[in-house]
Amino acid sequence: MTGQSRSNLYLGLFCIAFACVLMFIWIPLDTKTGIVVKARGKYNIGDGLAPTVAAVFVLLGGLLMLLERNATEQSVIRKNQLKFVASLTLVIIAGFTIMRFAGPVAVELTKLFRAEPLEYRLLRATAGWKHIGFILGGTFMISGLIAVVERKLTRRAILTGIIAVLVLIAAFDLPFDDLLLPPNGDV
Amino acid sequence: MKNLFVAAAAAISIAASAVAVQAQDWTPPGPIKLMIAFAAGGGADTQARLIATELENRLGWEFIPEQVTGKGGVNLLNEMKDQPNDGTVIGMIVAESLGYNLYTADIGLTPENFTAITTTAGTQMGIVAGAATGWTSFEDMVAAAKGGQEIRFGVMSQRLGELAYLVGKAQGIDLNIISVKGGRAVLNGVTAGDMDVGFMAGIQAPGVKAGDLVNLASGMAKPLDQTPDAPTLPDLGVDFDGAAIFMFAGPAGMPDDARNAIASAIAEVTSDPETEVGALIARAFGGPLTIQGAELDAMVARDFAESEALIKAASE
Amino acid sequence: MDVLAYIWLGIQAVFLGPEAFSILGIPVSITVMMVLCGFLFGIVVGATPGLAGPFAMAISLPILISIFGYSPDALLPVMGFLIGIMKGATIGGAVPAILFNTPGTPDAFMTTLDGFPMAQKGQAKKALRVAHFSSASGDTFSDIVLFVCAPFLAIIVEAYLDLPEKTGLLILSLSFIAAVIGGSAGKGLISIGLGLLAVYVGTGEDFYPRLSLGADGLSRGFPITTAVLGVLIIGAVFKELEEAWRNTQRTTPVQAPVESGDQNLHWADIKRLFPFIARSAFIGTAIGALPGVGSTLAATLGYTVGRARHQKIRAADAPRFGEGAPEGIAATEAANSAVSGANLIPVLSLGIPGNAAAVFLILAAESIGGFNPGPAVFRFSPDVVNPELVIAFGLFTCMTIANLFNWTIGGVFMRSMGFMINIPKTLLLPAVLLLTLTAIYVQETRIEAIWFALGFGVLGYFMRVLGISPLPFVIAFILGRSLEETARQAYSATGNDPFFLLNNPIALIFVLMSVAVILFAGRKPKGTAP
Repeated sequence: MTGQSRSNLYLGLFCIAFACVLMFIWIPLDTKTGIVVKARGKYNIGDGLAPTVAAVFVLLGGLLMLLERNATEQSVIRKNQLKFVASLTLVIIAGFTIMRFAGPVAVELTKLFRAEPLEYRLLRATAGWKHIGFILGGTFMISGLIAVVERKLTRRAILTGIIAVLVLIAAFDLPFDDLLLPPNGDV
Repeated sequence: MKNLFVAAAAAISIAASAVAVQAQDWTPPGPIKLMIAFAAGGGADTQARLIATELENRLGWEFIPEQVTGKGGVNLLNEMKDQPNDGTVIGMIVAESLGYNLYTADIGLTPENFTAITTTAGTQMGIVAGAATGWTSFEDMVAAAKGGQEIRFGVMSQRLGELAYLVGKAQGIDLNIISVKGGRAVLNGVTAGDMDVGFMAGIQAPGVKAGDLVNLASGMAKPLDQTPDAPTLPDLGVDFDGAAIFMFAGPAGMPDDARNAIASAIAEVTSDPETEVGALIARAFGGPLTIQGAELDAMVARDFAESEALIKAASE
Repeated sequence: MDVLAYIWLGIQAVFLGPEAFSILGIPVSITVMMVLCGFLFGIVVGATPGLAGPFAMAISLPILISIFGYSPDALLPVMGFLIGIMKGATIGGAVPAILFNTPGTPDAFMTTLDGFPMAQKGQAKKALRVAHFSSASGDTFSDIVLFVCAPFLAIIVEAYLDLPEKTGLLILSLSFIAAVIGGSAGKGLISIGLGLLAVYVGTGEDFYPRLSLGADGLSRGFPITTAVLGVLIIGAVFKELEEAWRNTQRTTPVQAPVESGDQNLHWADIKRLFPFIARSAFIGTAIGALPGVGSTLAATLGYTVGRARHQKIRAADAPRFGEGAPEGIAATEAANSAVSGANLIPVLSLGIPGNAAAVFLILAAESIGGFNPGPAVFRFSPDVVNPELVIAFGLFTCMTIANLFNWTIGGVFMRSMGFMINIPKTLLLPAVLLLTLTAIYVQETRIEAIWFALGFGVLGYFMRVLGISPLPFVIAFILGRSLEETARQAYSATGNDPFFLLNNPIALIFVLMSVAVILFAGRKPKGTAP
């Protein structure tokens, strides 16, 4: 074997291992009816059969990758790609976490200064309250993503975030009573 | 803008309608999440959404419909069980969801974990064959089976599968029971010839009228409106009822004022044939069916308890 | 009710549906307006580098469903809009390819080869006209083939294929897709396997949600929007962002090339181009009719065949292919545009989606309800009107209307889209990402859906990095349930015969063909993924 990439080999081995875990551990333990099940006096197809077929596809694919292990121009995952996609994912998770909790936190803070009882859940269709999370979280997410890609946080990035969020509110929220922007279906 | 309009319309109708005054004893503290256990676009989903729209117009309540489909309503129940019980979360299911399906799912939940609110409509469940089979009565089918023909019987839920099996057993014939997703799939299967016969919950009416389909038997304990002469399930030797009954439920411990207000508001619109939903129910589901309060609790409890007997009967 | 009556009902459903407004007392139906809006939107998106038709379809679907609701009346306006996007994006993609050497959509890559040299020679407008004319011709031809073939194929399938054979056909489709899309048969199989696995989580016949690891969040399975949009859209956005991140320095605005000389497309030009267009339209249609074979292959084949022909008949002073030959643009654009119509043949007649656009049409049908693409659609029931068949002919009508728009205003609108190149990707794509996630949330209304979509997005990104095409994954996700259900039904229908696939001759042939297709493709690993 020459000094070229061995990613096909690794991909093949990974898929074979994954398929085996699926077929021999996950599927048997995590389905109730197994591959066949006896019901109404006959043997019937159980819930385990279809996932096993899926696992067989992955297994066959893995085996074929082993045959292709010497193919030219194999693509590899570089370390900086891992880092890059991890930072994108983190920014998105952070953005949606802000989105989820900003509204309820704002309600709690307001309660400190007001006597009347407030509950975010019951305000989730009230203009203003229902937008707090989406505006803060959405702006954070967009400007954060732009900052990661451009390697610096610019005013332009924040402005883009704010504009995009407002456009989305105009597109989804203003015209439709029935639609819930995130996070208002969960509260 | 639409909000304003709805509010104005609601104000007018509240002023005008005596019903609204009755229901005013309780108003939802916030928007009501309406979970729907049926696939979007079907008759049951349309029914739920039309009820919501009509209540929004009449009472000014705000509904937020949400699809929670799968596992015959058990997914919805599982999702709903921990939600607030102040009347701001309700779900539309079939009685079977709280009965056979919840029992069989065996996830530690019983009807006690929920508040049954009201039923809206039953269905005209029939055992229906395609005209191409040449059968005109249930006996024809039994005769064909005894003559050695393999019979494919389409069902759209596990409980109906058990009933089909019991029908076959009582008649001494072997049925190849094919389970599909949704009533329309049975209709399509029978029309296309992939199946010979199947349970259909009212969807068969136009086809029967046109002569493309035949109601061989009622899938219920009572006769079909459309074909009153066809035998019922007890006539065929099966002491269960296959009728699907649409109903609303909420999480356990819903206060009585909320439960009653929602129940009477829903019943008011479903039994009014002038409303869009009332017309739909009259057309597609054989008229409104309103069971509430203690009577409904008893029905749900009975369905749940009966499931054990059904499963036992079908496993013998 | 005969065939003509159904066609007439379909046309009526489009033109006599709810009206948007009326001009001089003639009502204009909403569906027609939606086709127009989708078409124009598609051109804009196609002309924007980094975006493509599927993006536009993904983000507009939830908004459309909110506007039109979940009733069968919503099907034609919503799907009409999507069809408009599909056609618009096809011609829009040629704009940046010709003007700036940057293909707006992946299948416009071959257009750069002759389009950009023509633009550099000052013939940008003419190149765009050639592209539009060829694209519209290829598209129209392909649609006609679709209108004729889909109903016949469906009727044949319905008449001759029983449940075991339908199971075999699904297996064959998946194997074929695994073999032809993606870097290699191995990678295609992996993609299919993972897609099947994903759709089987939480579903199944039993009340216990299988493979859910006991987690409540997984017990309802992965919603189809999270898998499709995650792998196809979010994964693509991640990949595009990564490329932008690697060349952050290069952000100077691009200038449109200067034009000189005659820019018009003359009758003589058309006569000269026509053989190339016809040949490519035929190639594109034939390739498009196979599920999973993309427009990139059609464009490549059309271009190669066109080049071979051109070398033989070229006048001495005419430019060669690759040096700015209008015939090169014509051969490419006619081929890749001819794919889109024919690609709907397997969707409408078998319910098997062959490309991303078809995936979104199925997604729309599934979300709205009341229309299940597949052979059952083409049931010409005599007494009771089959509403799905009316919708099918309504869709054909929408495609025809879109073609009319394409021929009349498409060219002008397309030629005005050159400025879209200056929209910075780095700002646009994050906004598209939030838009996609919001769209998913609006449909699913639970935060788990966001996490699922994000997870599928990361998966889609790594699949792209490793050269595994994400399309088989998505197609398997869509077909997975019907594969399982059909297999169960076939098993029950045959009286619980475990060998139902082998005991029916046609089913057996399908299975053997599946094996053959994989073995054949496995023997010689192919080049790059489309």
